[in-house]
Amino acid sequence: MTLFEEYVGRYAAGERPDLRAYLDRAGDDRDELARLASGFLQWADAPEPDEDAVAIMQAWIDGEAPLVALRVRRGIRREQVVAWVMERFGLAADAREKVALRYHELETGQLDARRADPALLESLAELLRARVADVIGWRPRPIAAEAAYFRADTELAQFMPAPSEAAAVEPAQPDEVDRLFLGQSGR
Amino acid sequence: MSHDRDGEDTKLLAAGDHARLLAKYEPVIIGRCIAELRGHADADDVAQDVKLRLWSELARGKAYRVPFRVVVHKVIGWTLGDHFAGRPTHGPLPEGWDPADPDDAYGELLDDDAVAAALDGLPDGKTRQVMELHYRARLEIDQIAERLGMTRNAVDQALHRGHAKLRETLTGG
Repeated sequence: MTLFEEYVGRYAAGERPDLRAYLDRAGDDRDELARLASGFLQWADAPEPDEDAVAIMQAWIDGEAPLVALRVRRGIRREQVVAWVMERFGLAADAREKVALRYHELETGQLDARRADPALLESLAELLRARVADVIGWRPRPIAAEAAYFRADTELAQFMPAPSEAAAVEPAQPDEVDRLFLGQSGR
Repeated sequence: MSHDRDGEDTKLLAAGDHARLLAKYEPVIIGRCIAELRGHADADDVAQDVKLRLWSELARGKAYRVPFRVVVHKVIGWTLGDHFAGRPTHGPLPEGWDPADPDDAYGELLDDDAVAAALDGLPDGKTRQVMELHYRARLEIDQIAERLGMTRNAVDQALHRGHAKLRETLTGG
């Protein structure tokens, strides 16, 4: 079975196969697989979404953080996520507050999840019973976009934080927690 | 693609169930963006902007003469086209945009066969070089400028000329 056939088979079975992972496996056939997948997605039936997907999309539409919505649907408190990360990565007790801050930043889209250590993303995906691609891809809808799309809301727009204001603060001296959440350099 | 599915979309549109409708197409949106950008990290940003554009269309209550799936793929095509041309993808679609427009050659830019044929039809020179590097090698504008020893503005202008020629070729105009 070719990679394309495997991808199509999983898609048709109602799964959400991670195309990026398939492209990474394709080697020299990466371009060919990408072309086939794009063509397939243009005529294939879109899969029926499950209730998780609908709830997460509703949170996104409402301007809420989709990852928060997913965590709440799983009945998991933020402190439980922090404890999970602390234990999984053997972090010292005094790092708890910083882990809570960094996870809050990641969950609310202030921190780009693509920078995070892949092991952290895999661990979070396991806890949330989601895919790594969801942890990376589900960011809150930018509120500033409201102003761009509905320019009549000028009074509202003046109170919107600029992207730089909303972004997580970069550490002067990155530590192990920064390395986990902000990537290798911690910056 | 079954007509039943199009009928379901029409019902969701009529019911204002935008969350279910967008959730249904979310895997398609992210999948196509990843495919067209060959897995590049920018695919997540472009997919987010496709969702924003679709949500904006839905929130305005626009009615379409074509099935919603066509709207989805047109918006994906437009947004990817903006990305490849170095234009911002986070703004709304142009006023008067019509997914049922048969002359929307721009929206078809990512049809690989059509683009390949159209690129082959461009005369030799800087414009063709820039278009080749942008659409075939998938280089960003800054990368093209560096490789060809051009300014960013000159690359922008070459892309503009190239798009005009592509439109002529693709529409037979």
